[in-house]
Amino acid sequence: MAHQAHAYHMVDPSPWPLTGATAALLMTSGLAIWFHFHSLSLLYLGLTLLLLTMIQWWRDIIREGTFQGHHTPPVQKGLRYGMILFITSEVFFFLGFFWAFYHSSLAPTPELGGCWPPTGINPLDPFEVPLLNTAVLLASGVTVTWAHHSLMEGNRKEAIQALTLTIILGFYFTALQAMEYYEAPFTIADGVYGTTFFVATGFHGLHVIIGSTFLTICLLRQIQYHFTSEHHFGFEAAAWYWHFVDVVWLFLYVSIYWWGS
Amino acid sequence: MMAEDIQAKLKNYKTAPFDARFPNQNQTRNCFQNYLGMNIMWLLPVSTSWQRSPDYSKPDFHRCTKVLTAKGADTTPCEWFRRVYKSLCPISWINKWNDQLEEGTFPGKI
Repeated sequence: MAHQAHAYHMVDPSPWPLTGATAALLMTSGLAIWFHFHSLSLLYLGLTLLLLTMIQWWRDIIREGTFQGHHTPPVQKGLRYGMILFITSEVFFFLGFFWAFYHSSLAPTPELGGCWPPTGINPLDPFEVPLLNTAVLLASGVTVTWAHHSLMEGNRKEAIQALTLTIILGFYFTALQAMEYYEAPFTIADGVYGTTFFVATGFHGLHVIIGSTFLTICLLRQIQYHFTSEHHFGFEAAAWYWHFVDVVWLFLYVSIYWWGS
Repeated sequence: MMAEDIQAKLKNYKTAPFDARFPNQNQTRNCFQNYLGMNIMWLLPVSTSWQRSPDYSKPDFHRCTKVLTAKGADTTPCEWFRRVYKSLCPISWINKWNDQLEEGTFPGKI
């Protein structure tokens, strides 16, 4: 039986990077085809392939780590760096949209009436649903930390409860935000106000959904005894991501909802 | 500011002087602010017969003057604003904003 003389994980050949790249190609070209020829087929194909890639790739990682024991401390360290770097790249992604918002709102052009909010725009009251949303996400940050401590203390029941509560709060945020979107008196097409508002909050909402999904996977894994009190990096990564989503919301709230009104 | 000083300034007017509120190369705000100032001046609470004036750019000054004289106030700010924005603003902008004022679609806060 051959053994490796190091603690690192030499991953077996996998088709998922290729299917992922193919999905990226299909989605980008699919988008172009949709714009010009009104057909969504290529886009749907790309999205399906993306979904299948994600499910199978991450399933394989869980198999390698949890079931086969390949995630030694050095390997876990690498995964931590990876998640941190990914979140950092997401920070820069949002930074761009905040730049766009401040560019337009700090020096509003004559076309807007030289003021912000622009003439004709009735912004949402920051002290109504947006404030509730802030409370919901902050609370979910508390519950996810509670879940983490429960996990570290080996308290299975409370970990499941806290994680479930976090996910419910995440869904509550999404539901509230969806209602706000439906009821808003302005649309994405309403000048640069509409654009900056819906693109920034829209991408944030997408990240809330991604984060909620990640947390849900963690809940399922926790129920199935994947995590130990010492080793639960998947959960930690989800918690980091969730805190990141919360912080982005705080900046959105203060900048766009509050100062921007 | 004494009225005589302003009259003297208007008499010697060559072009818009440096305004420290707008120190940078992009002078859009300078133009817009003076245009607004001009139009805010003559929208003081009186009857709005100015809207029926045929030539939109000319009567501003006259109406503004008339309004301020009626209030016993100094009328030269109107003329100052008019001179400045005429010096600074592209003519197409002035025409566009005048048209918008006529239609009631001007976005600036008057």
